[in-house]
Amino acid sequence: MTESDAPTWRVPPRWVLLVAVLSIVAAEVGGGAMARFKVELTRWARDGMLARPSVHGLVGVRDVDERILDEALVKFDAGLRLFHMHAEGMGLVIIATSTVAATVIGNAAARRTIIALLTTGGAGYPVGYLAWSALIPSYGLERSKTIAEWLVWVPFGTATIVALWCLAGFVAWSMISRRGARPAG
Amino acid sequence: MILAPAVFVTLLTVGAPALAHHVGAYVPKDNAVTTNFKQVKFSVQAAKFDVALRLFETGPLRAEMRTHAASLPPGLEEGTRAALAGGDGPEVERRLMIFFAALSRDLALEADRQIARVDTTADIRVDIGRKFLEAIWRYYNLVDFAVATRDNKASVAVRLAFDEAETYVKPATGGTAPADPTGLRKPLQRIAQVLSTLIESSSTPSSSTPPRRNS
Repeated sequence: MTESDAPTWRVPPRWVLLVAVLSIVAAEVGGGAMARFKVELTRWARDGMLARPSVHGLVGVRDVDERILDEALVKFDAGLRLFHMHAEGMGLVIIATSTVAATVIGNAAARRTIIALLTTGGAGYPVGYLAWSALIPSYGLERSKTIAEWLVWVPFGTATIVALWCLAGFVAWSMISRRGARPAG
Repeated sequence: MILAPAVFVTLLTVGAPALAHHVGAYVPKDNAVTTNFKQVKFSVQAAKFDVALRLFETGPLRAEMRTHAASLPPGLEEGTRAALAGGDGPEVERRLMIFFAALSRDLALEADRQIARVDTTADIRVDIGRKFLEAIWRYYNLVDFAVATRDNKASVAVRLAFDEAETYVKPATGGTAPADPTGLRKPLQRIAQVLSTLIESSSTPSSSTPPRRNS
């Protein structure tokens, strides 16, 4: 094999890179806004919870309710932090995995499908944390988690996992076929 | 040459989803009153009565005592302040014990009242009971040792009633009876009754633990 025949990394489609970069930008903006508007966000969430006492199981006794509100506010804050962290991380995951897919997968249809799944799944999954946080004041901890799970985490997470396992299969297949093609001795 | 990093990236990211989708854990924190109680208690234990007095005078513990004055033995707040000013550790402990016992008793009475309501479902009443039990224990747990050293029977009675109450709010698992809000009322009433008796009997300094005052 000559130098010119050696395989090289292929850049994934531009729209994939754009989505990945946007995901990272959203993470940074979210993280910044979370710190800048911490008091306002907490007040908004607290007011929303106090407006729906039955949703959150508030009993009208401060010693009991403070603990419930505190837990919900901690989870509300955790959701925002997890969005920031996951959007940042998944942006990089999209770039890395779609680069591998663009390079390793020869079949165009399979390559396009896997890259599409990696990109939509990777970009959509972190939004579930944002949705969870936003829904907590209106629907309570458990119900908002269920909504975020079924609308965002399960579909987008499944897309990412399926795409990653297919990619792992393609990488393994590529290794096996190269080993088989190598001349003996 | 390309396959090695490709394998690395793929393995790294395939393993990642297993760690994902966690939503954080909540560890209950002290509220302002229990935090201030601990500050005062530790200052008293370290014999820093001037620090303890300042923390009491400026903290939410005293404000809470004033808020609940109607359901507390008369003069509890002034007596606590005087004991701190006089450097009387056991008296401070006794008065704080009475205060938290009273808070726990009031919560047990309120829990019993809310659980007795028939306009809500059993599940909601069980949930209310569970939340009240958490709040009761958060306060009572702070003074259980002080209660046990003065009235061991009361301490045991409260803990037994609490354990019994917890069995009524535990979620049903295979083969066990479902959570029962009506069964919860009796142990709650017992907690309130035992604590009322304790508050009454502790409201005057015991002759066996004479107050020590700096002279």
